[in-house]
Amino acid sequence: MSDINNGVGVIDDDFNPAAAPKAREAAGARAATWGGKGLTVGIGVSAVITLIGIVLWVMQLSGGMVQTAMRNLDSWGLYITMFMFFVGLSAGGLIISSVPKAFGIKGFGGISKVAVFSSIACTVAAIGFVVVDLGQPVRLWELFAYSNLGSPLMWDIIVLGTYLILSCVYLWAQVQAEKGKVSHTALRVISVVALVCAVLVHSVTAWIFGLQQGREMWHTALLAPWFVSSALVCGTALVMVASMALRAAGYLKLDQAHLVKLAKLLAVFVLVDLYFFGCDLLTEAFPAADGMAVVDMLVSGPLAPFFWGEIVLCVVAAVICLVPSLRTNPLLAVAGVAAILAILCKRVQLLVGGFQINGLADYAGPLTPMTVTGWESGMAGAYQGMVYWPAPIEWGVCLGVIGLAVLIFLLGVKYLPLRPKADEQ
Amino acid sequence: MTHYGMVIDTEKCIGCHVCAMACKLENNLPNDMWWNRVLTDNGGDAEFDMVGGTYPDDLKFGYIPVSCQHCENPACVKVCPVGATYRDPETGVVRQDYDKCIGCRMCMSACPYNGVRSFNWEDPQYHMDYATGSKDAPAHQKHVVEKCTFCYHRTSQGEEPACMRLCVGRARFWGDLDDPDSDVSKMIASRNYKQLLEDRGTKPSVYYLV
Repeated sequence: MSDINNGVGVIDDDFNPAAAPKAREAAGARAATWGGKGLTVGIGVSAVITLIGIVLWVMQLSGGMVQTAMRNLDSWGLYITMFMFFVGLSAGGLIISSVPKAFGIKGFGGISKVAVFSSIACTVAAIGFVVVDLGQPVRLWELFAYSNLGSPLMWDIIVLGTYLILSCVYLWAQVQAEKGKVSHTALRVISVVALVCAVLVHSVTAWIFGLQQGREMWHTALLAPWFVSSALVCGTALVMVASMALRAAGYLKLDQAHLVKLAKLLAVFVLVDLYFFGCDLLTEAFPAADGMAVVDMLVSGPLAPFFWGEIVLCVVAAVICLVPSLRTNPLLAVAGVAAILAILCKRVQLLVGGFQINGLADYAGPLTPMTVTGWESGMAGAYQGMVYWPAPIEWGVCLGVIGLAVLIFLLGVKYLPLRPKADEQ
Repeated sequence: MTHYGMVIDTEKCIGCHVCAMACKLENNLPNDMWWNRVLTDNGGDAEFDMVGGTYPDDLKFGYIPVSCQHCENPACVKVCPVGATYRDPETGVVRQDYDKCIGCRMCMSACPYNGVRSFNWEDPQYHMDYATGSKDAPAHQKHVVEKCTFCYHRTSQGEEPACMRLCVGRARFWGDLDDPDSDVSKMIASRNYKQLLEDRGTKPSVYYLV
C-alpha cells in the first residue's frame, strides 16, 4: 500500500507529515471549545426539541401506535421514509471525505473531518428512526439473540452498526493522523474500508424494499444502485450546505474552488440519479402491463406533487451547479437545499408508492379503523389521494430525531477538534 | 411430512361471513381485527357485499374468503429479522410468536396478500368483558403482528380450524396436501382451482375451487 502511495505521489487534502509538529501546536490551541452564544443557543434549542421528541415517543408507546396514521394496509410511514432519507444523507460526508484519501486524489479542502462528523450525526438519526418505528423497542436485544441472517432488515442493522462504528474510527484516525500517531497507509486502508461500507449501507437499505416481490413499486434490481446515487445527491448537497454555513459562521475557511468542485460533483450525481429514474420509468411503462400503475401513480396520480417536485428540484440544482455564471454563493446554497428536498420527495414516493398499489384491490373487504389511514371514506376514498399521510405525533417524534442529529452535530462543532488545520483551506 | 392446506369452494360460498365470525370468537380477536375476511369479488370499485361493474351486462359479484395463505415459500418468514414468524416444519403452517415479535412490521410490507396480517396498533380492546373462544388460543399483545394460525391450538389437538365448523354452504375443506387420499388433495386433483396472486411465487396452501 505504501509503495503505491510513494509511487503515484499521493496528494492528500489534510495530511502532511512535515507539518505535523506545527499541526500539533495548532490542534492544541484549537482543542478547546469553539463558538459563541449562537452555537450555545443552537445546542440548547436542539436539546429541547430532542427532549420533546422523546416525550412524544413515550406517549406513542404508552398510548399506542394507533395515534400514528399508520394502519394495516399502510404499515410504514414517516419514520421509515426518514430512515431512508437519513441513511442517504449520511453518505455524503463519508464519501466526500474518504474518496480523495482512498484514491489518492486532491480533496475538498479542510472539510474532511466535519463532513465525516455530519455522517455520524445522520447515521445516529437513521438508527433513531428505526427505533421509534418499532412497536416493541424493549425487545431490540432479540435482534442479536435470535438474528435471522436471511432478513434484509437484519443485514441493514449489522451494516448500519458497522458503518457508525467505522465512521467514528475513521474520524478518530484522521485526528490522530494529524498528530502523527496514525500512519498515512493506515488512514488510507480505513478510508477504503469506510467507502466500501458506505456503498453497502445504501445497497442494503435499498434491499429492505427492493427484494420484496409483493410490492410493484419496490421490486426492481435498479433500487440498490439508485439508492447509492440518491444518497450521493443528498449527501453531497448536505456537505455543501453545511460547509457553506460553517464558513459563514467563521468556523472554517473554504476555498471557493473547493466549493465549485463540490457543486460540479453534485451536478453529476443529480444527473445520474435522474438517468436511473428515467430507466426505471421506461422499464415500468413500456410493457404497458402491471408497471403502468406505478407510472400513472407517479406522473398523474396521488404522488404527482412529489414526482414533479423531485424532477423540478433536481433540474434547478443541476442547472445552478452546471452553469458557471450561476455558481454564486446564494444560488449554490439554493442548489444544495433543492437537491436535499428532491431526494426527500423521492423517499416519500418510494414509501407511499409501495403501499398505494394494493395487490388485492379487485376485492372489497370489511373496513375498520385499523385497516387503512383514510378508512372513513371507504376503500376507494382511502386510495384516492395518498393512502398515507402522517399524524401530528409522527411529525413531533420525527422532529425530535432530527433534533438529536442536529444536537450531536453542534456538540461536535463545539467540542471536537473538527476544524481544519491553519495551513490548509 | 404433513402439509396442512385448505380448499375453499367459491361456487358454494354464500358470503354469510360466519367463518369470519367463528374465527373472531375462537381466537378472541380484539376490536376491529379480522384474521379471516370474506372479501367481495366485485372488481374493487364497490364496497364489500355490494355488486360491482356496470348494469346490466357487466356485473361482477362473488365471494372469496381470504386469510393467511400459509405459503410454502412465505415472503414474510424470509424478512422477519428475529424469526418471530416462521414456517412450522411439522405441519407447514406459518406461525407467529407474539413474544418474539419486535413490531417492525417488515412481514406486513413483504406479504403480497395485503390485509391478512394485522398489527395491534393499541392495547387490545374487547367489546365484551370476558374472553371468548378457546383458552388455548394465545393471548393478544399490544404492538405485535398477528394473523391466522390455521387454529394451531385446535389442529394440534386433532381438530379442524374454527372457520370450518359453521360454514353454512360447506364450502371449506381442510386436510393434508401431502396425503393424496385427503379430501383437499382429491378436490384439487378433480376440480378447477385458482390461487391468489400466483405470479408472486409464494406457493399458497389455500386453494379456491372455481
